[in-house]
Amino acid sequence: MLRIENLTFAHPGQTAPYQFDLEVAPGEIVAISGTSGSGKSTLLDLVAGFLTPTNGEIALDDRSLLPLPPEERPVSILFQDNNLFDHLTVAQNIALGLQSTHGSEQAISDVLKRVGLEGYAPRRARSLSGGQQQRVALARTLLRDKPILLLDEPFTGLDAETASSMRDLVKDLTNAKNWHVVLVSHDEDDAVFLADRRFDLSGNQLTERAKA
Amino acid sequence: MLSSSALRMPSGSGRRAAGILAAAAITALIGLIFWALQNTTITRTGSTIPVDIPHLLRMSAIQAGLTTLISVVAGIAIAWSLDRLKFPGKPLLVGLFASAIVTPGVVVAFGLITIWGRAGWANTVLNAMGLSVDSSIFGLYGILLAHLILDGTFAARILLSRLDANPATRLKTGRSLGLGAVRRFMVLDWPAMRGAIPGLSAIIFLLAFTSFPIVLLLGGGPANQTLEVAIYSSVRLNFDLGAAVALSLTQLVVCTATILPALAFPGSIAPAGNTNSFFWPDRWSVRVLQIAILGLGTIGFILPLLAVLVGGVSANLPVLMARPNFWQALGTSVSVGVSGAVLTLALGLAITLARTNLKSRIGRTLIGLPAYTYLVVPSVVLSLGFFLLTRSLGLRPQSVATLVLILASALLALPFALAILGPAVSAVAGRYDKLSRSLALTGWLRWRLVEWPLITREIGIVLAMGFCFSLNDVGVISLFGTDSFTTLPWLMVRALGAYRSNDAAIIAAILLTLCLTTFWLLPYLFGKLSNAQD
Repeated sequence: MLRIENLTFAHPGQTAPYQFDLEVAPGEIVAISGTSGSGKSTLLDLVAGFLTPTNGEIALDDRSLLPLPPEERPVSILFQDNNLFDHLTVAQNIALGLQSTHGSEQAISDVLKRVGLEGYAPRRARSLSGGQQQRVALARTLLRDKPILLLDEPFTGLDAETASSMRDLVKDLTNAKNWHVVLVSHDEDDAVFLADRRFDLSGNQLTERAKA
Repeated sequence: MLSSSALRMPSGSGRRAAGILAAAAITALIGLIFWALQNTTITRTGSTIPVDIPHLLRMSAIQAGLTTLISVVAGIAIAWSLDRLKFPGKPLLVGLFASAIVTPGVVVAFGLITIWGRAGWANTVLNAMGLSVDSSIFGLYGILLAHLILDGTFAARILLSRLDANPATRLKTGRSLGLGAVRRFMVLDWPAMRGAIPGLSAIIFLLAFTSFPIVLLLGGGPANQTLEVAIYSSVRLNFDLGAAVALSLTQLVVCTATILPALAFPGSIAPAGNTNSFFWPDRWSVRVLQIAILGLGTIGFILPLLAVLVGGVSANLPVLMARPNFWQALGTSVSVGVSGAVLTLALGLAITLARTNLKSRIGRTLIGLPAYTYLVVPSVVLSLGFFLLTRSLGLRPQSVATLVLILASALLALPFALAILGPAVSAVAGRYDKLSRSLALTGWLRWRLVEWPLITREIGIVLAMGFCFSLNDVGVISLFGTDSFTTLPWLMVRALGAYRSNDAAIIAAILLTLCLTTFWLLPYLFGKLSNAQD
């Protein structure tokens, strides 16, 4: 279980701090909605370790994540763009997520097959479409197999068909891997299709929406 | 009440016409200069002392090549360190490095002599301990050091802007993947910087290849003479115009051969957009190295400038003030500086606005091309052309000296003006062009409400740069200057030649103060002007 308890943070000059409380079960996808600047990305930055809270706790299965730097946290992130390094090949981009390169070729080939990009390993990231780039990033996430997945508007900018197939993929992998997923998206379709529970972020706090 | 008829600013076709006119005027001027150079090749005048062009070419290439290599390496190291460290006063230091482009070469050379000369600071300290510095600052070592101080920091500022342009999301991805310092450099930093390196190297090579005041002051004799200094010697000392033209044409060929391959590379040295806000420090052992690099770079840049300021403050000002040619030089320098700045801005805006109003890529290239004249026609060659042109028109060179100084300085500053104005004007056009058109904002109204408020700071930078380039010129005045007509930098060079180090120290301090103040103050004031309209 991912637990976020009484997590407090304020940007410089911000008078009223954010205060977040949230629980995400294994295999669960939680969607967070809110207006621009409401603090959705701030919450993800806190969980990923890019920002340090003034108070509160973030824990996975009772192990606090706060003392860990971003690179040691059990977290994968998928942004709207810039998830890949354009000048590297697909294989090199995925290999960045590996601790050891032993047997990596087969592993990369396997995950690429899983995300529907078999044979794409030698291609440069810059030659891929937006949807393909997101699939490669998801393949890397799959290979790293970190228990927490943070999705920051990951399907924005994709055409409807590609976005739909990406959502299917995320849903399947979350169930199969028991990931704890926090999704931030402006797109109502993303939340409706993916989320097990939905939260609104307003007034610097999270409020759970009643199930329809 | 806004009235579009009150004052008209060229719109669409008007802007294109203004740009074409500016480009055509520069092209015509350059054509005339080439004609004058070509005409003189046939008739050699004055004494004909043989010039060893291969030796001069070799020396120029060696010092420019070494300068480029060490400046780019130093620039990468300093930019890398600046990107990773956070400390109070960092914006001030970055701004100081940015001012390297307008810091006068004569001033840096003088600062180095103040520190490393026989009676300099280093020997004063070492003599007290019974030691001394053996190596002389005069010669290749001194030339390289002076260029490194100016060009290394210039390179650092350009490369830092490339690192700053790395998107925060990409840095976050890299950090969450746990990239170490070396891998981070290879995966994130190097790809961000490498696009700028061919253009940057070409610019530094050309700046060093055509460097005149530094080689003149620190060259230390014929062994280290470069083409640029040899052109000056041919005209002023031997009056062998044929030799000067032969040297100039050699210089033109090398400069063209340098800049053309660099243009083939994608990427640019223009600032690379918004700075990211994500700070990701390296581990402590790497940070120690970064602190050492930055400390060395800062001391290396600041110490000669500090020496100049200290020397100026402690010198005898009334002695210099009593010299009439000081006041003449000050007046000429400031008036040339102001006129050069205004002309640079006018040409820069005319060309930039015309380029954004042209759909054809070839048209945009053709309008922009003449603005890059300086990259292939350095100041001494340019002034030699003007010198020969005025003679062939039957005019006394001194009678048009002020005009030539202003024109040449504006041409020198123009490539930099375009590099600053171009991205800013394009960004405004890209973002607001459709909106402006839909609201029928054209001409003066569009300039006043949309463009001016958004590029005011860049206009301040261009004016400051134009002023400093005009103020610092040594190449043009070296051919046109006389006892009764001089500028501050040339007065300083001549004071040094006559062993009047008191005068040189004060003039160096005045030049440095004028340049740094202008470079910092004008963009600030223009930025304020823009805010005041909000």
